[in-house]
Amino acid sequence: MDITINKLQAVTVVELAGDLDANTASEVQQKVISLATPSSKILLDLHGVKYMSSAGLRMLLSLYRHVTANKGQVVLVGLAPQIYKTMSITGFLNFFTTCETLESGLAVLQQKS
Amino acid sequence: MKALTVPGTLDALDAIAEYTIAAAEAANLDPDTSYNLRLAIDELVTNIIQHGYKTADQTGTIRLQAILSDRALILTIEDKGVPYDPTQKSPPRDLHLPPEHRQMGGLGIYLAMKSVDRLIYERVGDRNRNIVMIERPAGLNYDWSEG
Repeated sequence: MDITINKLQAVTVVELAGDLDANTASEVQQKVISLATPSSKILLDLHGVKYMSSAGLRMLLSLYRHVTANKGQVVLVGLAPQIYKTMSITGFLNFFTTCETLESGLAVLQQKS
Repeated sequence: MKALTVPGTLDALDAIAEYTIAAAEAANLDPDTSYNLRLAIDELVTNIIQHGYKTADQTGTIRLQAILSDRALILTIEDKGVPYDPTQKSPPRDLHLPPEHRQMGGLGIYLAMKSVDRLIYERVGDRNRNIVMIERPAGLNYDWSEG
């Protein structure tokens, strides 16, 4: 699993590449949760993730809780159709904001303040 | 296909995914069905590693065997962890709840059950046996009827 972290103005862009399973999710969880500082704006770019199991969902739920507890925002971009479906049947799309492209995700995070 | 035996540790998930994908390719499954099969096997095996072998206080092995017939791809998972029947697990009740009221886990077996046509559990001696079944499209007729 490759994790690349960049700052784009006020937004922290986290780009993941690889499979998100029980073997890789804990490392990702540690890294991304440390980014959930007060009022943080986090964009998780999942274009490079072609597979995600429930371990990935657990990581996402944990991230969401840390971000909202710190009055921040998180947006997911580039979900593969199968991952979108997994998030849909588990109800995760009810609370996660998702966008197709990096640009649209950045726009969402930059308009909310 | 030749069976695969791996240690019951998370490091083995890659080899298990590789084996499952090869079985899906041999069965000529479409990409969505193939993905679902990988998800189901991954979730079942992860559950065995994290719960079956953890509480048994021992490391054991996991054996995967794919069998291909005209009608179905059957993948059998065997382990010697604590007895556990995933088909008896009730679906999560908090799927509609907001994130602050949800449990952190409990989705893996649910996803596995949702992803395959059939999941059968058997206890055989000191082993758990999970049998995952995926129906295959029925040859040329399938193409015509869909086309």
